[in-house]
Amino acid sequence: MLWLALSLPQLPLEALASRPDATLPAAIVWHDRIVVGNEAATAAGIVAGLKLAAAWARLPALAIHERNPAAEASALQRLACWAGEYTSEISLRPPQTLLLEIGASLRLFGGAEALYARIVSACAGQGFQSQTAIAPTPLAAEWLASAANGALCLDGKTLPALLAPLPLQVLALSPAEEARLASFGARTLGDVLRLPRAGLAKRFGAGFATRLAQALGELPDPRPRFVFPQRFAERLELPAPVEHAPALLFAARRLIAALCGWLATRQSGVLHCRLELEHQRGHPATPLDLAFAAATRDGERMLRILGERLHSLQLNSATSALRLLADSPQPLPGRDAALFADGHGNPAQESLAALVERLQARLGADGIHALCRVDEHRPELASRPMAPWSAAPRTPAAAHGPRPLWLLPQPQALRERDGQPQHGGPLRLLVGPERIESGWWDAGEPGATGDLRRDYFIALSPHAEWLWVFRSAEGWFLHGLFA
Amino acid sequence: MPALAELLQRTDIWRGDALATAPLPGIPTGFAELDAELPGGGWPRSGLMEILVDRTGIGELSLLLPMLARLSGEELAWLIFVAPPHLLYAPALADGGVALSRLLIVAAAGRNAAWACERALETDGVGALVAWLPETRPTELRRLQMAAEASRTLTCVFRPGVAANTASPAPLRLALESNERHLRVRLLKRRGNPLTRPLDLAIPRPPLADPSRHALACPLPAATAARSPGQPA
Repeated sequence: MLWLALSLPQLPLEALASRPDATLPAAIVWHDRIVVGNEAATAAGIVAGLKLAAAWARLPALAIHERNPAAEASALQRLACWAGEYTSEISLRPPQTLLLEIGASLRLFGGAEALYARIVSACAGQGFQSQTAIAPTPLAAEWLASAANGALCLDGKTLPALLAPLPLQVLALSPAEEARLASFGARTLGDVLRLPRAGLAKRFGAGFATRLAQALGELPDPRPRFVFPQRFAERLELPAPVEHAPALLFAARRLIAALCGWLATRQSGVLHCRLELEHQRGHPATPLDLAFAAATRDGERMLRILGERLHSLQLNSATSALRLLADSPQPLPGRDAALFADGHGNPAQESLAALVERLQARLGADGIHALCRVDEHRPELASRPMAPWSAAPRTPAAAHGPRPLWLLPQPQALRERDGQPQHGGPLRLLVGPERIESGWWDAGEPGATGDLRRDYFIALSPHAEWLWVFRSAEGWFLHGLFA
Repeated sequence: MPALAELLQRTDIWRGDALATAPLPGIPTGFAELDAELPGGGWPRSGLMEILVDRTGIGELSLLLPMLARLSGEELAWLIFVAPPHLLYAPALADGGVALSRLLIVAAAGRNAAWACERALETDGVGALVAWLPETRPTELRRLQMAAEASRTLTCVFRPGVAANTASPAPLRLALESNERHLRVRLLKRRGNPLTRPLDLAIPRPPLADPSRHALACPLPAATAARSPGQPA
């Protein structure tokens, strides 16, 4: 077991919907006491635990915000979903710590150092400042993280030496207990660990001694496992209302990263998800449905599709929050390196699937289609558009006369002069007639072709166009072009 | 001068009195007299190709059909058609040897059509891109030429005949006219010495023999009365 503790000291500030300007001093207040201040405030001496009146006396320009525990909990949960990218063993330690069991993930990510660097930078990308540490026990990882010295302890033997210089504050004791330890002459954790454990248990209770033993790995320390939600629904408040749709892409990136983590723990992908743009003042939310050609958990691919959708979107009202919803994850087969590239899942196929998705996102679902041949004697019905990747009906190649490469969507009426059809001049009928008739079975149905009685000819126009024309009871019509 | 001889080995430099050599062998067009006049001995596998034609229905697709059949049937590459002016008719394509399972048609208008072409050229596995861009602008064509040069996709753009009067970045330009049973191809521009004489290609035309077929799905009912026997005569 190897635990990575991700402590988020600035979480109360970072979870605020309207994040204050970093250059102006701001602080979070809870029950008249400062919880945390931003960098500008800390530099002016605003520390946690200070009374509000004292803080204002020190820094009259200090902007304060009430703490929002619900927002903090939801931010922590979103971060836990995101961390699913790295491990499935996650434990929440409210209010502001996340524990990841990374022992099983080291090989995949190329070792502890590489994984550590990756998590720290990705966490910053999610918009959270973190203090991180790795230790063989969860409690030790928490303590090391809260001391913010970036310790990487991969071996239990070096743990006591690493814990020794930590200040007593990491234990989060009551002031009375801290004073009592100080009266023993203990100033650091190392001093406490040197004291006889039985005596400590007598003076501070069995719980205290147990925690020390758990931190050193002498006693088991079971942690509740974070249960990933069945349905992904995360909301992100935007710092300021956004009027311009493409600007939403940056904020959506965070939600999509969380979705990918949620999918990674399930070894699955999604075929579709929905992004809702919430507006102010009671305007109904704008839903954006994103559909993919195949189940995916590739964040970049999702962002490309979303980018195309946002590009063509006109917002009637400014967006104040985003909400990403996804359910019914589809199992995604693990990718094994094939010795011979086969038709299924080869790179060209995937690249084409991405193209189809992108075109559909911009041009609409019917902007791109495939074509199939149908065994049907009526010319309009023998060629049918169908959705890409759908299976074509297996039809025997019907014997028929020559057919044109271009067909007009609707037969175009031709004028007739002296018994000859006209199209830029009199047409020369070269071949024909080929009689095509009957179709009474769908006559009268809406949208159906119905009954036909036509004599088709191949004709040459004065401009040397090769045409497919027919004569019916209504007269002459142009139906296709031999291109 | 050895340096000059070396220089002339490059595929992007050619003498004015000879045909350039193409970096990749071309795709046989199916017409020997046309192959003989194209650099690389066939349609170019990369780079933009323009076909200028004023009317549809003179045989402009039949000219490409052998290449489309070869790419989709033998090389298992995808064919993408962007903004065709009419409906492509599946039975005729299948009769021409095109594998319909490897065909995608994009319905896009105006600037979206050029955008779709660029995206298709970025994609692997696309053998041929055939686009109808009647109102394309020079900057879009230039971008397409860059994308086509970087890809391994045969890129063919249909434009109206008046475009022959304006310059184009495409290294190969053809103008088509119908000449009764033949298709007259004029090579307006190619890498190499200009060709002034037009080529008359015997493209496949509908057979003149009378098919005398009767596509009747089932015999017609003898009379309408047969469907309502209860009616008094």
